[in-house]
Amino acid sequence: MSNPSTVPNFERFETIALVVARIVFLAFFFLGWEYVARNRIVDPLFIGVPSQIAKFLWNGLFVDYSIIRDLVWTLGSTFLAFAIGSVAGIATALIFITWPLFERFSGPFFSALNALPRIALAPLFLLWFGLGIWSKVALGASLTYFIVLSSAVAGIRSTSADHLTLSRTMGASKRQIFMRVTLPSAVPTIFSGLRLGLIYALLGVIGGEIIAAEHGLGQLLSFLAGSFQISGMFSVLLILAILGTVLIEVMNIVEKRLLRWQ
Amino acid sequence: MSIVSETLNSANAAATSSDRIVIDGLDHRFGESVHAASNVSLTFAPGEFVSIVGPSGCGKTTVLNLLAGLIKVQTGTLSIFGKPPKAGRHDVAYMLARDCLFPWLTAERNAEFGAEIRGMDRAKRKSRARELLEAVGLKGFEESYPKALSHGMRQRVALARTFCLESPLLLMDEPFGALDAQTKLQLEEVLLSLWMKERRNVVFITHDLAEAITLSDRVIVMSSRPGRVIADIPIDLPRPRSVSALQKDPAYHRLYAQVWEQLEMGLKS
Repeated sequence: MSNPSTVPNFERFETIALVVARIVFLAFFFLGWEYVARNRIVDPLFIGVPSQIAKFLWNGLFVDYSIIRDLVWTLGSTFLAFAIGSVAGIATALIFITWPLFERFSGPFFSALNALPRIALAPLFLLWFGLGIWSKVALGASLTYFIVLSSAVAGIRSTSADHLTLSRTMGASKRQIFMRVTLPSAVPTIFSGLRLGLIYALLGVIGGEIIAAEHGLGQLLSFLAGSFQISGMFSVLLILAILGTVLIEVMNIVEKRLLRWQ
Repeated sequence: MSIVSETLNSANAAATSSDRIVIDGLDHRFGESVHAASNVSLTFAPGEFVSIVGPSGCGKTTVLNLLAGLIKVQTGTLSIFGKPPKAGRHDVAYMLARDCLFPWLTAERNAEFGAEIRGMDRAKRKSRARELLEAVGLKGFEESYPKALSHGMRQRVALARTFCLESPLLLMDEPFGALDAQTKLQLEEVLLSLWMKERRNVVFITHDLAEAITLSDRVIVMSSRPGRVIADIPIDLPRPRSVSALQKDPAYHRLYAQVWEQLEMGLKS
């Protein structure tokens, strides 16, 4: 019992047991769901049928690729929104740091824009950028932008005063101080902003697609809802949950590599 | 009139003191109420290790920061090797009580950071940083990030970084102030051995008398506010010194008592 080599084995066993328990739970959950829907204990019009969901997924992923196609549109728009929003956010943060007077001048305007529920801009963006992806990119980017902006400003401001003093006594130029001291100290804070920004880019894109679009998972979702294909909707929701998880996981991996020193 | 005499003074100082550090008639105030330094005049000979001790708030750090060029001189003249102080001078290196290591750099990259900023050749600074890390007892930790190092080890890296700069004047602001007694003695030993190899000028601020006597050629005692120099005591203990052997040396304890008396007087006045 007190043999230390048995301890990791036990932990391993616990992990496996948890995974098995989750699978069993899901199996019972879906079986119960199937039973309830088939016997019309609850109208399947509201909750769908798991076997239908599986069929829809199979079809969309491997037979006619309809889900894959929409997924590509959504992913593309999300990526564009994230890239544009975060580059613009970091650029604005640099302008704020370089010209503090400009930050003080524009502070209230930025706060007001940030406080505006962004989804309310969707009709305007549709008018400006049309039904295609650019109205979704604009909506997603407008969310990402403010998140990344505030985290970048906070990160750059958080540079340790001691580090700055030391660099000054070493004779570092302004440029050297920025590149070698300020920027690296800001990276962790900027990164947490980027992670959040990515999730919000996805949110903005899906929201925009639900409102009006030609392609994308959001558009598919709203089409399926409009034609009462509840099982189809659930399969899209499942895909969205997986998509969000994968995006967060990718960011975590990048962060771990970039911030090994933490 | 004062402008003329000051110009003359500094011209004079420059002519006679291109190899030493001269503080002349220094007076410094922060705002109306805080009189940090009053009429401080000191000259440090080449290669001298000088400690400045005094109660907290006596202005010793102010003197150091003035030498480092981090704050502007108000009254009096300061001259380091014939030139006025300026932050970023390559002939001055500065070290703080906090290790100030960059958490995103390895021990080695931290040790060579200052030399890199000052444009030292890459191969040269790399080999210097490695040598110094070995000298401070951190061989094998070159690739460690600061989070993996203890307090004492981090301050060792900071020492290596300071010595990696080839500056003839080292300004140290209580570099061991935040360490426990045991680690402090070890690091004093390391500092002495590094200094013995190159004999650079050191201005060492501390509130620890024992530390000041152990390390220095001269101990300057400052009074509480307004900070004045109340004693300037040569420490004629032979070198090389061993920190642990000194603890049992009667000459060391006699000096300690002598300096302590001066410090006590300074506290009363």
